Amino acid sequence: MAVSQELLDILACPKCKGDIYLNETQDGLRCDACKLLYEIRDDIPIMLIDEAKPIED
Amino acid sequence: MNCLVTGAAGFIGSHLCERLLQDGHTVKGIDSFSDYYDRSLKEGNVAALKNHSRFSLVEADLLETDLDALMEGMEAIFHHAAQAGVRSSWGKEFHIYVESNIRATQALLEACRYRELSRFVYASSSSVYGDTRDLPMREDSNPQPVSPYGVSKLAAEHLCYLYHKNFSVPTVSLRYFTVYGARQRPDMAFHRFIKWALTGHPLQLYGDGGQSRDFTHVSDIVEANCLALYAPVVGEVLNIGGGARFTMCELLELLEKIMGKRLSVERHAVQKGDMRHTGADMTKAHRLLGYRPRVPLREGIVDEYEWLRRLHCGPRESNRAPGSLP
Repeated sequence: MAVSQELLDILACPKCKGDIYLNETQDGLRCDACKLLYEIRDDIPIMLIDEAKPIED
Repeated sequence: MNCLVTGAAGFIGSHLCERLLQDGHTVKGIDSFSDYYDRSLKEGNVAALKNHSRFSLVEADLLETDLDALMEGMEAIFHHAAQAGVRSSWGKEFHIYVESNIRATQALLEACRYRELSRFVYASSSSVYGDTRDLPMREDSNPQPVSPYGVSKLAAEHLCYLYHKNFSVPTVSLRYFTVYGARQRPDMAFHRFIKWALTGHPLQLYGDGGQSRDFTHVSDIVEANCLALYAPVVGEVLNIGGGARFTMCELLELLEKIMGKRLSVERHAVQKGDMRHTGADMTKAHRLLGYRPRVPLREGIVDEYEWLRRLHCGPRESNRAPGSLP
């Protein structure tokens, strides 16, 4: 079961509370303001700041 | 109804999610997968749920989440997320209890202030009673917690009441009496005893074994939550117990019968914060909720035994525990 659009619509970056977007490979949610990627593992978005990976441009 | 379950990957939360889905509700779960106990157990708790079309789960901390967005469209909240554990609530760890149990509850209630909700069910605990003089404990007994954990659960209960009083948030607090059953947390007595017995270790018993608990099977807890959705219980606090009290000595005898062998027990001093006895007066829950516990201890403990046996020893052809009671 992929993450539902309904769930994606309500999620926000826990750090800045800004919008986040599904990445190209659909395995993470990007916050471009914080340059953080929140992974989606086993269809569960991991919205924990400590677990987020920095995005390198 | 659209239901939000906090602590959805936990012991009670995951069973509640299953029941709500069976009853036709749509369930959104949130869980921080805290490291209080092994993540793999929590992942096991939700494994069957993840493929359900009416279930979604997000791993997040309530204090770092946009709760307004999370609550959009929700009609009922079942707030089971908490930092559990009486014995770990001393010393420097207490701040975790303040954050997870008091601040997180307050944040949720704040987000409920201007929403149309049917219910906000809060999972409270018999630990709020502590040194109260009444046995069985009644909801109007004077709560006197003897652990910081109990204080944190009582504080959150009071927050639930005052958000109801001031902002009409439809809260009800359910005081759970020592919950057990399949998926019980590994820090709890039945889980420890059965695991030690299955793996050939002596059981570690704190105190003289004369302490007693009103043990409540998780399915009865779930039933109480479902009843609370529709019953006239807004603004109330209700005891949810198992219907009988057992001492730890009686429990050990029951385990020996189920496992068909004598168990080796090592005794230790009483732990700080442990209550001597708990027992629920359920007059109010019966009258307002229509609640009656259905699972007797001798039956419920087999449920937990079978789960732990599968966890530690793998599947077995026979479904019956050795020496299991008819």
